Amino acid sequence: MTSTGWSFVETAARLLARDEREAVLGDLVEGNENAWQGLLGVLGLVFRGEAILWKSWRPWLAGFVVALPSSFLLMGFSLSVSWSYLTIRCPELLQKSSLTLGSGSLVLLCQALLLIGWSWTGGFVVGSLSRRTLWASTLLCFSPCLFCLSRFRVESLSRFCLFLFLVPAIWGLRRGLRIARMKLSWAIALAIAITALMVPGWSSGAHHWWAPPRWTLDWALCWPAWYLVATARRASSKAGLGGSDGLWSGQREQQTGMS
Amino acid sequence: MLGEFEYLLITAAAGLGEDAYGAAIREEIEAATGRKCSIGALYTTIDRLETKGLLKTWMGDATPQRGGRAKRMVRVTPKGVLAAKAFYDVVTRVSRGASWVANRRGSAS
Repeated sequence: MTSTGWSFVETAARLLARDEREAVLGDLVEGNENAWQGLLGVLGLVFRGEAILWKSWRPWLAGFVVALPSSFLLMGFSLSVSWSYLTIRCPELLQKSSLTLGSGSLVLLCQALLLIGWSWTGGFVVGSLSRRTLWASTLLCFSPCLFCLSRFRVESLSRFCLFLFLVPAIWGLRRGLRIARMKLSWAIALAIAITALMVPGWSSGAHHWWAPPRWTLDWALCWPAWYLVATARRASSKAGLGGSDGLWSGQREQQTGMS
Repeated sequence: MLGEFEYLLITAAAGLGEDAYGAAIREEIEAATGRKCSIGALYTTIDRLETKGLLKTWMGDATPQRGGRAKRMVRVTPKGVLAAKAFYDVVTRVSRGASWVANRRGSAS
């Protein structure tokens, strides 16, 4: 095997887990395979490994049901939060919106908390569902971001306002990757808090006849919070009445490689 | 029940005993079947069988002829032996009476 060919094979083998890479590259050397055969073998193994992961419903749910639609909706809501901030900062806009500084600030606070809650729970669900297919979920999240960024034409707001949701989403994602699920009581509290924050928005604000009702969009972003409740409930019923002893009940299982 | 390739892999690993690892198993399968065995198929099947508890694997020592890379050693578990035996019994039973079986029941020769 030539050194150039070998470097291609080694680069492709980086997609494998460390032990598997070691064993596979050793087998290729021992079998005196040429670079082309080696590259095909390694890529074949990578492809098969990925295909097996996608036989499960989890990466599909994480990528196509959470990451892709949520990033679209959360970008819209990020703009809404930014606009509310702009409104309370600008007296003319505040006067036009028929809000006082106090009520405007309260609306902004509710929206900001809702944005953090939705983004965090969405990120958490994506992280906990698709650890090994995270690249696909990330791609599905960022493709609408790039699409919207290229078409952003609001002069009074910065383009970065689109991505306010990313910080809590990445925070949730990191937690989801580290742990399997939340403790049931915390999951319930979080889901109830998010749902309660949604309610005031259903009665206020203009609504276009062509747009879907506000509550349908809200529920599209809220369900990951209730999904966390469902998974925590299932886990605690499996574990018996003893439950877990921390905020993050899946942590221990994951450390022992069970989840 | 095991698949055909799973049976081949377990049988090759069992035959190699303490020397069973990726490249050796692959060589055994290729020699027995006369067909190329891809690394992808081999390691994907090893992973699947290990998940089912039919094989146990661990990283062995590195050797110079492998460019200093470690081997992934393989051992068939008791559950794997039972599964392979069950597959063999089924193939043996279903093959009785087939024209290509030398000592088939009711054979004139």
